[in-house]
Amino acid sequence: MRVRRLIAIWAAKLVSTGCKLSGRQGVTFAGKIALKIDPKILGDLASQVREKIFVVCGTNGKTTTNNLLCAAVESEGKKLVCNHTGSNMLAGVAAAFVLAAKNNGKLDADYACIEIDEASTLRTFPHFKPDFMVLTNLFRDQLDRYGEIDTTMDMLKRAMQMAPDMTVIVNGDDALSSYLAMESHNPYKTYGITEQVFESHSEHEIREGRFCKKCGARLEYEFYHYSQIGKYDCPNCDFTRPPIDFEASAIDMTDGLQFDVEGRHIAANYRGFYNIYNILAAYSAARTAGMKLENFDQVLQSFHPQNGRMEHFEINGTEVLLNLAKNPAGFNQNISAVMEDEKEKDIIIVINDNAQDGTDISWLWDVDFDRFSDPSIRSVTVSGIRCEDMRLRMKYVDIESELIADVKSAIEARIGDGCKNLYVLVNYTALFSTRNLLAEMQKK
Amino acid sequence: MKIKIGHLYPDLLNLYGDRGNIQCMKKRCEWRGIEAQVQEFHISDQVDFSDLDIVLLGGGSDREQMLVCEKLKTIREDFNEYVVDNGVVIAVCGGFQLLGHYYDTENGRIEGLSLVDLYTEQESPRLISNIVIENDAFEYPIVGFENHGGRTYIGENQPLGKVLFGHGNNGKDGVEGVLYKNVVGTYLHGPLLPKNPHVCDYLIRHALERRYGRSELEPLDDAQELEANRYIVERFVKQRG
Repeated sequence: MRVRRLIAIWAAKLVSTGCKLSGRQGVTFAGKIALKIDPKILGDLASQVREKIFVVCGTNGKTTTNNLLCAAVESEGKKLVCNHTGSNMLAGVAAAFVLAAKNNGKLDADYACIEIDEASTLRTFPHFKPDFMVLTNLFRDQLDRYGEIDTTMDMLKRAMQMAPDMTVIVNGDDALSSYLAMESHNPYKTYGITEQVFESHSEHEIREGRFCKKCGARLEYEFYHYSQIGKYDCPNCDFTRPPIDFEASAIDMTDGLQFDVEGRHIAANYRGFYNIYNILAAYSAARTAGMKLENFDQVLQSFHPQNGRMEHFEINGTEVLLNLAKNPAGFNQNISAVMEDEKEKDIIIVINDNAQDGTDISWLWDVDFDRFSDPSIRSVTVSGIRCEDMRLRMKYVDIESELIADVKSAIEARIGDGCKNLYVLVNYTALFSTRNLLAEMQKK
Repeated sequence: MKIKIGHLYPDLLNLYGDRGNIQCMKKRCEWRGIEAQVQEFHISDQVDFSDLDIVLLGGGSDREQMLVCEKLKTIREDFNEYVVDNGVVIAVCGGFQLLGHYYDTENGRIEGLSLVDLYTEQESPRLISNIVIENDAFEYPIVGFENHGGRTYIGENQPLGKVLFGHGNNGKDGVEGVLYKNVVGTYLHGPLLPKNPHVCDYLIRHALERRYGRSELEPLDDAQELEANRYIVERFVKQRG
């Protein structure tokens, strides 16, 4: 058995080195090979983690939250295993452990911080039971792949019940996530923002949690932060926003992001309201695990969002920000983040419909693109496999867009004639190729 | 001229970009100088059908459809009168199923409105695909995306089209949707109307005809709409052939 484990590790490492060029796919492939050779390898390696295992789940914010959590854990002087590449299905999770193992089959790690695709929790938890699960939020996402949101919730609930001792660190402002945490009967801790931050709110935004999951009555909201995230209460039964353990207050977004939690002042130089939740989630998880986080300020200062989460490039004097947007809630938050920048800007939107994106792109019509009819938006360019659909989407909010199907040509065009401030918003499969393109162009 | 579009229960039935269908109808009226008022009806609201020119019934999850079906019983009579009187209805996905007598799911029967003689039964697997259909009454193919666990049987009724690519009502009889009086029922979303301006105009034209006795619609520049439509047809139908 031991020999088998070693062979699995060596084979996976070989494959991963061989596939370096293909990056993420190489990682997934390495994980598949390792599991094929030694189906128990993931459980074996996970059991060698000396202290705790965190998993991060939720529709949006998984990668950023997990990467922040990793940085926070490392700042405590701990060694860890993580899946930085965002490869988050069973094979990707296995690869994270296998590739971190030494050639002698030993894993030298105090912690593991693993993001897991919601649908993959049921396949992963038989291998190991995490100590903590961070649940960021639940929104509609890729209905053709995951089915209705009820299906995702049901899977997560069963996964939580497979690990009854696992503490869930949940976004208390999301009625769906909170309901799950309560219903699972796992121990849980909550984080949230109790003060109203935004005065007005798009009336049209699609909200999943309109109705109480417990009794079916329409939930009452004191205010919304975005989508269904806010302060809710059921007028009919005892379901209500739970008491918040880690409460962010004094939210200030005038210069980066600032807020207070547990009497500490937190400041980060990123944009996007949703990043307050990402920071708060990582902070709450590490604190729940008993870490002091005395260097959390430094963690935030030296943390640079990557993997196309507001990732910055500079190409021929043009500032380029690349951001992933793959569902209505995420896209609307992205638009808010773009509009926080009051300078003139060009926008490129890249929409693909490969299997991993979801082949159904009707969600584009649930995004509030009308907010781009603002004088600060100098131009909108649509690109990617479904650029015709995207152009049509813009037409029906009376915004003219230029169609350049090839992503590279689209970027080159706007770097050539744009206002030096370019936002590139992409969905899933467009992310990696676009990121490589931008990195390439930056080098030159 | 003015038409009024009633959007039924968007708080429960809003799965697949139904907002796009509403926006499309509204814009295509406005671009022609026709005023289009959209009224959303929530589950506790009274619906006055005599006031409406187009009714949109969207899709929801099975659980949400179950909630809606209780409410539908109370409006069934008025809704039926509207349909018999040639009222225009566009019903998508779950809405299409609710037009019929029932939808049998593994969790029990969802009673429909019985506005059209059709019924639906749940079956595995879900039928998920891009889809292209055609109907000689429409100038261009109709394209969209389907994602349904139900198999719908329309009996002797006219379908919305013949399936060129995809599954259609039940994956067996090669047809998709239903056309009954001025009711269009279909599994196509994507959303349906923006890439199928000919279907959108069909609805608007019949609504105007019913209220004003006028059926001529001023043509619009549909180059972008038809390019998006053609892309789907060429990718899924022509290249196979």
